[in-house]
Amino acid sequence: MDTDKWFSKLLEDPGNDLVRKAMDEGQIPIGYSCSYVPDVMLSVDGLFPVRMRAPGVAGTELADNYLSSVICSYTRSLLEFGLDGRYDFLQGWVFAASCDHLRRLYDNLEYLRRPGFSRILDVPHKTGKAAIDWYTEELQLLAKSLTDHFGCNLGAAALTKAIREHNAFNAILKAIGEHRRSDHPSITGTEYHRLVIAAGASPKKTLIPILEKIREDLPTRAPLPPYRARLLFVGGHLDDPGYIGIIESEGGLVVGDRLCTGSYPGLQPIPETGDPVAALAKYYLTKTSCPRMMEAFNERAEDIVSLAREYRADGVVIQIMKFCDTWGVEAASFFSHIREAGIPVLRLERDYRLGGEGQLRTRIQAFIESMGK
Amino acid sequence: METTKPGLSDYLEFNKYRAINLLHIGRMAAKHGPFDLLRDLKRYPWIWDLLKVNSLLKRLLVGRSGNYRTAVAMVIGGVVDGVIELLEGIFYRSDRLILHEDLLPPEIFRAMGLQPWVPELLGILLPMIVPDAMQKYLDAAENEGIPPDICSLPRATIGMAMKNAFPNALAVVSSNLPCDGGMSSYTVIAQQMKKPAYWVDIPFDFKSERALDYFAGELKDMISWLEKHTPGRMDWDRLKEICEKRNAMAELELDIWDMIRHRPAPMAAEAVWMSHLWCFNVNPGYEASIKLLADLKSLTEKNLAAGVSAVPREKYRALLWNPPTLHYIDLMVWAERTYGVSLILDSMSFNRQSFIDTSSPDSLLKSLGSIIMQGPMARHTRGPAEANYFPDIFHMVKHFDLDMVWVAGHIGCKNTQAMSGVLREKCREAGIPLLVIDYDLMDSRITPKEGIQEQVGNFMENIMKARRLDQ
Repeated sequence: MDTDKWFSKLLEDPGNDLVRKAMDEGQIPIGYSCSYVPDVMLSVDGLFPVRMRAPGVAGTELADNYLSSVICSYTRSLLEFGLDGRYDFLQGWVFAASCDHLRRLYDNLEYLRRPGFSRILDVPHKTGKAAIDWYTEELQLLAKSLTDHFGCNLGAAALTKAIREHNAFNAILKAIGEHRRSDHPSITGTEYHRLVIAAGASPKKTLIPILEKIREDLPTRAPLPPYRARLLFVGGHLDDPGYIGIIESEGGLVVGDRLCTGSYPGLQPIPETGDPVAALAKYYLTKTSCPRMMEAFNERAEDIVSLAREYRADGVVIQIMKFCDTWGVEAASFFSHIREAGIPVLRLERDYRLGGEGQLRTRIQAFIESMGK
Repeated sequence: METTKPGLSDYLEFNKYRAINLLHIGRMAAKHGPFDLLRDLKRYPWIWDLLKVNSLLKRLLVGRSGNYRTAVAMVIGGVVDGVIELLEGIFYRSDRLILHEDLLPPEIFRAMGLQPWVPELLGILLPMIVPDAMQKYLDAAENEGIPPDICSLPRATIGMAMKNAFPNALAVVSSNLPCDGGMSSYTVIAQQMKKPAYWVDIPFDFKSERALDYFAGELKDMISWLEKHTPGRMDWDRLKEICEKRNAMAELELDIWDMIRHRPAPMAAEAVWMSHLWCFNVNPGYEASIKLLADLKSLTEKNLAAGVSAVPREKYRALLWNPPTLHYIDLMVWAERTYGVSLILDSMSFNRQSFIDTSSPDSLLKSLGSIIMQGPMARHTRGPAEANYFPDIFHMVKHFDLDMVWVAGHIGCKNTQAMSGVLREKCREAGIPLLVIDYDLMDSRITPKEGIQEQVGNFMENIMKARRLDQ
């Protein structure tokens, strides 16, 4: 089987074959966005999470009528797909009130296309005790509403089991990603990102055998052909591996990522002991590290610099979605911080839909050349 | 109802307030001394623009007469007086100066004996006086990589911080209000200022007791933090006194709002919204604010008793949603004279907050917390829109007997832009004419005033079937 093709096919449609198969088996798909939503809670007792994406969206003409054209194109694309009925297979969705754009997407979806079950989580902007307590309560309310609506069991034992399975799954993905650290990696950033995105787009259990096979095969796989530079890839939501593919086709191998939809910090293990809801609240509130969190700029900036050094990256590429206020403002500060640390850095602005390929290639070529590679 | 045209007394009134403003400025200059004044004019070049305040007075009084004219002049005079006091805070009380985000409660800072300075205030005031005043700051921020699509208020504020235009404060206090752009701007501002910063977190779904407890806890933590990082100490008796005065202000404002429900309205536009903006957002709990609102109430009562309409030939009553068009602040002067449009109330002023419970420190914090969470640009940017955004619009239309909704569709306000589609459908269903003005809050290069006039004119003539009064 050509795994690359197989995974690529999975990413073509939110209701992919694995999703349909799970539904035929009686499982219930619940959509979610963004990384602050604890997908573990949607992986319990017959539920399974589907991270909301709009692959191949051709345009957002309908959505622009409602959200306007100055809202981030990820949310506009989701609304377009929603209005097109592409999420009709979902039996509900859970959003995080993480930014203005997602909040307003939720408001518009509530008015235009409300599913049987919908909820928006009130995510604090801080990570202290009061905030974690608040989010714990918020998740308890989510658990109650899921139980009330779907009749599923979100008790402590069920959640703890789901956390264990989640950790086990992420451990496989993480182990695959570790191969990118090597001086001569055998997996590209594009291939790896495809696996990570597929994990959010499909019932995880169905992917375990094929991911384990990839993990087993990687040590014996031939190293990649020579590349020009090792890059750390930073930014918010990116669910199209094709974007990384273009960068890598210019010789910039993405050896590490720090994305909302990537391996760091998303694949860290969740504590398996104690109250599972409290553990989930703390984990999801503290691990995502989005610029929407106040008070933590220095940690975020240092994190990028440390990761770049850890992965021996020659340079850092920051990609931000146009109209994203939090990443837009913070990227300007990240840029100075990374440059002051002596690491070459490139900032790219993009739309959700992959476009402007020629410009992207030129920017990447120039960046790699500016590093003397 | 009768209407009035400007006469000799109106001319004299204008000159009276112009002289009063100059007197205030002259007194500040004399107190500060020529050497220090010149030094500070160099340090804070935006003061030059503030000194041109009488040009604003002139633009806002054109064509207005009687008590309405006096009321608008009084409000501008009140702002001048207050700004001078804030400037004196920079000049003489810098050892207690803090910068705080514009929606945080100045009542608390003042009760702590601190001298608050709102960085966004200049971004609001300056373009009213000099329409292109903020362009250099917007450009400065963009040149340093701040995206041009971020709301121009935080963008200009970042630009001011980058150009070292703010006073050297002890600390910076911010929050996640009113929007992501505003919240994010303080990361940059705090870095530029190189000062300790504290952020207050306001829940999204703010109406529950749980949210109120959480936010009151945030305010308590903010007070502790300020006590650690500044010489400020909380004086609960002082806070109680300030809040009691704020309650008195709210009573006066409610009386004015009751009177402007009358058709045609005895008071309108800046006399209503600018007084709210200044008194409640910048100067709450001040004797000067109580006096200003009491005087406005008295003028409104006089007009009502005499059957005088604020806007001559009031033909249409409008709700303005979103902040007013700062770089074309005399839009309503033009709309009044051209189409007989009276701006009755706006989203920045209207609220349904309860009075502050001054019985204990906890009740003070909870009440203030509630006011912030339910305040303008707070409730409308959080909580489900179905519960907080549309109901306010439709309540205002009904309660104040309004004919149309004007949305000042500031291109950088993503919260508003993203609701325009649904609002359009809901207004259509309700039979309420809706105008969304495409423009930028403070950058006239995006849409100049002529472009705004054209949009309003098209709406008035094609949708409202209005005839121009000036032809």
